[in-house]
Parts: sequence; structure tokens; C-alpha cells
Amino acid sequence: MRAIKILSTLGVVLLALSALSAVGLAQEMENLPQASDLARQSLRPYWHVFAAYTIAIVLIGGWAVSIARRLRAVEERLLD
Amino acid sequence: MLTLLGLAGLIFLFYLSFFWVSTEIRQGIAQRIFYVHVPAAWTAFLAFGISALCSGVYLWLRDDRLDRAAMAAAEGGLVFATIMLTTGPLWGKIAWGTYWTWEPRLTLTLLLWFIYLGYFMVRSSTEDPEKGKRFAAVVAIVGALDIPFIHLSVIWFRSLHPEPVVVKPEGPSLPGDMLTTLFTGLAVFTVLFLGLFLFRYALEGLRAEADLRARRSAA
Repeated sequence: MRAIKILSTLGVVLLALSALSAVGLAQEMENLPQASDLARQSLRPYWHVFAAYTIAIVLIGGWAVSIARRLRAVEERLLD
Repeated sequence: MLTLLGLAGLIFLFYLSFFWVSTEIRQGIAQRIFYVHVPAAWTAFLAFGISALCSGVYLWLRDDRLDRAAMAAAEGGLVFATIMLTTGPLWGKIAWGTYWTWEPRLTLTLLLWFIYLGYFMVRSSTEDPEKGKRFAAVVAIVGALDIPFIHLSVIWFRSLHPEPVVVKPEGPSLPGDMLTTLFTGLAVFTVLFLGLFLFRYALEGLRAEADLRARRSAA
């Protein structure tokens, strides 16, 4: 139980750090010479691009949720 | 931990893809599909490769842990192959004017997807579970044999699909920022897959334990 709490806290801290470092790194990367001005142009509403990224999130998230549900069911079976 | 790291990486990848990387001059914004399509393809091939490797060793050693690892990897491979097979046509509609065409790489990739779908059908439809595991292991190995053909199909045959831009003898031909975003995508999808694969493997271990307990209490 204590290990789970420690791991959860560590996970949250790492996630926050990752997010902060991601933003910082991205800001640094904007100054690199290979980042062209084209990157600053606005996104045209190509629904295909957004659909592609949504599909990726939904499928990976769906797999994670499906594993979590099955894990809970097996843990309940083991407790019974 | 790996899964959390992968999640953070995914947010970073989306930031790079939408706000940082340059827009490709000919394909425009649609080229950004590349940063999820290629990592999904790489991860699917990695997963199917792990599944085939574990299946091969399972057929040799008959260790159930290898069968569980093969199944966990195959399930992940199927998820990432589905991402590859759905994001590719979305790009194809803009680049080629059609969602699907029966050209060699697309056809072989769809075949791979069906082979691994068959992997799960073989497992669940065989009455003797041990026989089912062996049959499925053979299907996993046969499926993985398709992967080199998928990679080389664009070189061997006349194909609509773009040729490799990274894995080629003369080195990558992508600009630096596109290469950075692509490699970030490859790392993020690999970490996400490995994290979820470990959970899936643990699930099969617990399921086997629950089955064993149920058999013992029934006896």
C-alpha cells in the first residue's frame, strides 16, 4: 500500500516535470536554425489530420482502459 | 511508469507535430499525419516481431510465460496496426485522392492485420487450449514473415506508397526538425507500447493464477 502511494506520488511528480521540461525544450527548439518560419503558419482545418490524431488517442486509450478493466475483473476473481 | 512517461511524451509529440515542426511544402498540413502513421507502423512491426520471437521460443521450450508474452505483444501489435491502417488512408485521401488502393504495401499490411486477427481466432476457436497456443504460435511466426516484404515492397514493385525516407542506404532525407519530430514519435509510441505490454502480460499471469485456483477449489 505504501509502495503504491510512493509510486503514485513519484508518477505525478515525474509527469509534472515531463510536462514542464517538454514546454521548456519546445521553447528552446524554436530557436534552433532548422525550425523554419513555416512552422508558425496557422493550421488549415484539415479534418483528416485531426481525425488521424484522434484515432491514435482513442485506440491507445481504449487499449489501456480495456487492460485496466480486465485487470480489475481478474483481481476481483482472485479476491473471491 | 513507462506508460506515464509515454503519456507525457504523447503530449509533447502533439505539441511538436502541431506547433513546432515545419509544414511540408508540397503536401501541406496533411503531411503531419506522418508523425503518428510511421511511429504506429514501427510499433506494430516491433510488437509482431516480439510476438513471433516469443512464439518461436514457446514452440521450442513450451514455457507458458512466452505464450503470454506473445499474446500480449500480438494484441498491442493489432492496436498499433489498426492506427497505421486508419491514419494512412486519411493521408492517402489528400495525397492520392483516394482512401484505399490495392497497391503492394497496403495490401500486404492489410494481410498482416488479418493474419494477427486470425491469431486470436485460432486461440479462441481451438477446443484444446494447449493445441490452440501451438497453432497460434505458428500463425504469429508466419505473420511476422510478412514484415520484410512490407518494407521492401515499395522498392521491389511499382508502388504508390512513398519510398523509405529514413531507413535507406544513403541515410535519412528529411529536414532536421521533421526528423526530430519523427524520432520523438517513434520513441513515444515504443515507450507507450512497452508500458501497456507489461500490464497486458501481468494480466495474463494473474488470469492463469485465477484459473489455477479455480481448478484447485473445484477438485
